[in-house]
Amino acid sequence: MLPFHATFAEPQHFSVAEKLLFAALALTSAWAFWRRFRIVLHKILHAKKDPGFHLFPIGKRIRDFVWEVLFQAKVIRERPLAGFAHAFVFWAFCVFALVTLNHCAAAFGIPFLNPAAPIGRFYFYCAAVFAAACAIGIVGLFVRRFLLRPRWLGEKLSWESGLIALLIFILMATYLASFVATTGPSIRSLWWLHTLALLVFLSIIPHTKHLHLLLSPFTVFLSRGSFSQIPPLSGDEDFGLVAGADLTQLVSLQAYSCVECGRCTEHCPAANTGKLLNPKEIVLGLRAYLNDLGPASDQPLLGKYNAQQAVFQCTTCGACEFQCPVGIEHLPILIGLRRGAVNTGAWENDHGAKLFLALERGSNSLGISPAERDKFIERQRLPLFDGTQEYCLWLGCMGGYDPKGREIVADFARIMNYLGTSYGVLRKEKCTGDPVRRLGNDLLFQQFAESNLQSLAQNKVKKIITICPHCVRTIQEDWKEYGTPPEVEHHSEFLARFADKLPRTVGRDFSPGIERVVSTGALAPEVRSSSAPSPTVQEKIVFHDPCYLGRYRNVYEEPRTIAALSGKLVEAPRHHDRSFCCGAGGGLAFLGEESGDRVSHVRAAELVATGAHTIATACPFCNSMFRDALASTSEPAPQLLDIAQLAARGLQGE
Amino acid sequence: MKILVVIKQVPERDAPVRIDPSGKAIDDSDLQYAMNEPDAYALEEALQLKEKSAAANDEVIVLSAGPERVGTTLRDALAKGADRGIHILSDGLGSLDALGVATLLAAAIKQESPDLILTGLQSEDLGLGQTGVIVAELLGLPHATLILHVEKIKTGPNGTTIEAKRELEEGWFQTIELPTPAVLTIQSGGTKLRYATLMGIKRARIKEVKQISAADLAPTSTPVVLLQHIGLPKKQKSTQMLTGTPKEAAAVLVEKLRTEAHVL
Repeated sequence: MLPFHATFAEPQHFSVAEKLLFAALALTSAWAFWRRFRIVLHKILHAKKDPGFHLFPIGKRIRDFVWEVLFQAKVIRERPLAGFAHAFVFWAFCVFALVTLNHCAAAFGIPFLNPAAPIGRFYFYCAAVFAAACAIGIVGLFVRRFLLRPRWLGEKLSWESGLIALLIFILMATYLASFVATTGPSIRSLWWLHTLALLVFLSIIPHTKHLHLLLSPFTVFLSRGSFSQIPPLSGDEDFGLVAGADLTQLVSLQAYSCVECGRCTEHCPAANTGKLLNPKEIVLGLRAYLNDLGPASDQPLLGKYNAQQAVFQCTTCGACEFQCPVGIEHLPILIGLRRGAVNTGAWENDHGAKLFLALERGSNSLGISPAERDKFIERQRLPLFDGTQEYCLWLGCMGGYDPKGREIVADFARIMNYLGTSYGVLRKEKCTGDPVRRLGNDLLFQQFAESNLQSLAQNKVKKIITICPHCVRTIQEDWKEYGTPPEVEHHSEFLARFADKLPRTVGRDFSPGIERVVSTGALAPEVRSSSAPSPTVQEKIVFHDPCYLGRYRNVYEEPRTIAALSGKLVEAPRHHDRSFCCGAGGGLAFLGEESGDRVSHVRAAELVATGAHTIATACPFCNSMFRDALASTSEPAPQLLDIAQLAARGLQGE
Repeated sequence: MKILVVIKQVPERDAPVRIDPSGKAIDDSDLQYAMNEPDAYALEEALQLKEKSAAANDEVIVLSAGPERVGTTLRDALAKGADRGIHILSDGLGSLDALGVATLLAAAIKQESPDLILTGLQSEDLGLGQTGVIVAELLGLPHATLILHVEKIKTGPNGTTIEAKRELEEGWFQTIELPTPAVLTIQSGGTKLRYATLMGIKRARIKEVKQISAADLAPTSTPVVLLQHIGLPKKQKSTQMLTGTPKEAAAVLVEKLRTEAHVL
């Protein structure tokens, strides 16, 4: 405990020699800093300008800056313990700004904070609290990185991190020690030790990932504006991220901001299943490219610095970008790299070519004759959209051609009929272009977006409902590049609005359903009770958040509202915005066999392990992936139903 | 090597086909068009030959005949990598027979004197399988059909010969040696088709497509094959099981084909 009367002690007088020495050291340090920082700044500023970047509206930028930088919200939220430790280091740095200025001013005899005066004294005490927290925090972080060694920080130990940790500790320790130092020489020595640590720290910042101290506030502030914002191509020679000359200022800024924390990789479905893709390494690969070759180079980005194979293992789930604490936007980078490979024909992949050829010649991504969709509409007696109805029910490729997708559409149509909704389906539909958009084929995407926008305008479509979050996203956001899309919502959003009109079957005895499952000897042994005749079992439902509905659209509660009408909700360990991808996104559902573990199997196992009787989905792709995964295990599997199917169960009698 | 690929623009595979009230043509009012798939394989073969060849001045030319809309398919071919295109403008191809079309094509090809002529085995709409063969005959060139690949190109003192792999039935293949110039009709599925790229389309804009009027090439000939009628097959299902020894069953079959089915 500090004695109550202790004040911060600093040398009262510096000799001319000391002043000169300090000036010389400070200038040297500043020169060393600028020498390297100038190069990084030059590379960022000389990269291509970002097409479609708008500084305004500025409100969201300021809010994100305050929340993510000043409050360290993302840093803390995703990894609470380490996050708080880091937050205190950051806040200590902020508080220390004045202290440091005062420290340097003191050398020249013009200190402005008086430790004896009330304000000065109060400030120094506050700084001391932060210094203590920072010192504890930095020791904790050091122990974590060097002794506990979490996987996501990488295999190699980072000696520069150790050095930085040591310097920060010295800075805080020398500051705190100055409260108890009493002799002149000790006070002076502490001052000089603090100064040396400071000047060394300053000079090495631009050489290490601690560059983020300067860059990341800008990176967060200068984000593209929204999640997974894919920039437009600019001009006839722009095919995406092919070579250094295509790297833009934002991409370069983001590459230099990476702190190598590994949070992106920690939640990546590809990285978690033994694939080559590692989002952190993608960003660091770009940084290495910029360091070696700079932004004007015509050397390909894919090859030495990043592998094409890795880039095409991305499901575009967005877990990486969603939680990056320094504001790196991985999705536009990954999709940009894909564009560079696909738009130039450099990507050679049998399944990819098959998908592109199917869409070059036909109307849907599955390569099925449109006559099949016509037959489905006829069989289900779905009303045709004639411009007078309120909603256009968009089937999508899965809803129109996939057997399970069709079941979901059929059940949703039953619900809409029950609710008396005015809707119709289009006579002809073309794929929204989602898979080719995520795979980077701008030729096909432009064709489909323009064709669809024209067709919807001609058919006077004002509002669209669809069962597929990929369609929702592509229609609402990606089509904007080519026109003004109509309003679109996901069927969970629609159903949630009418939840009070839908039948509630929760609380109903699920035992008959259980019998079917338990008879094979596996699920829920606790419900078997020899004493009671037939105990009521409530159906447990686990809802899997689709990437394109959750992280992409921020819709988490609406589908749960619907599922809760049918049973008791349980959550998977990774849920809401931490939901783990089913593996189908990014066009990957159309590509061939994956290497390593199958993403869908990993997630399905996680959902089954919750002990739920039913897995609820809200995306036909998730549904398809889990159906496949559940079928391949020999364990008796839970039911797999879309939320529309859950809600429609209560309509049995209708 | 100068390779010329003859391609046809046909209605999209899944197009709803309606017969014109006259019964002599397909109603093309609602149709979308695409490149005939066997011709796409022929184009792919030509592009691969060019890519594999050591020579720097290989050229792939695409040729097609038809109305204005055929230009789109020619541009698609250029986008995939062909160097230039020739479009025989004609609105009346529907009234010509295979010989008539082949005459026009042969006249245009003669002006180019290519070393190798590739075309698809047959078209997806009429499926005659004759046009390539007739073109060869009109040009006095050797030809081979049902080809999967050109396997070898041998340059010798007497000129260049090629070895082509031909697909037969039951998993059998045949290798045929031909002198050049020659005509090959290409079977689908022998290789992987490449997809059209944005870069390809942008580059295609500056590539040349020469338009020639059909009248300038050859006088309109009178068809030797006349189309009488187009109709949908009548749905009729009737199964008769013939019993007895093969000899007895065959005799009964011949009788039925003669008297019931009226095909003999």
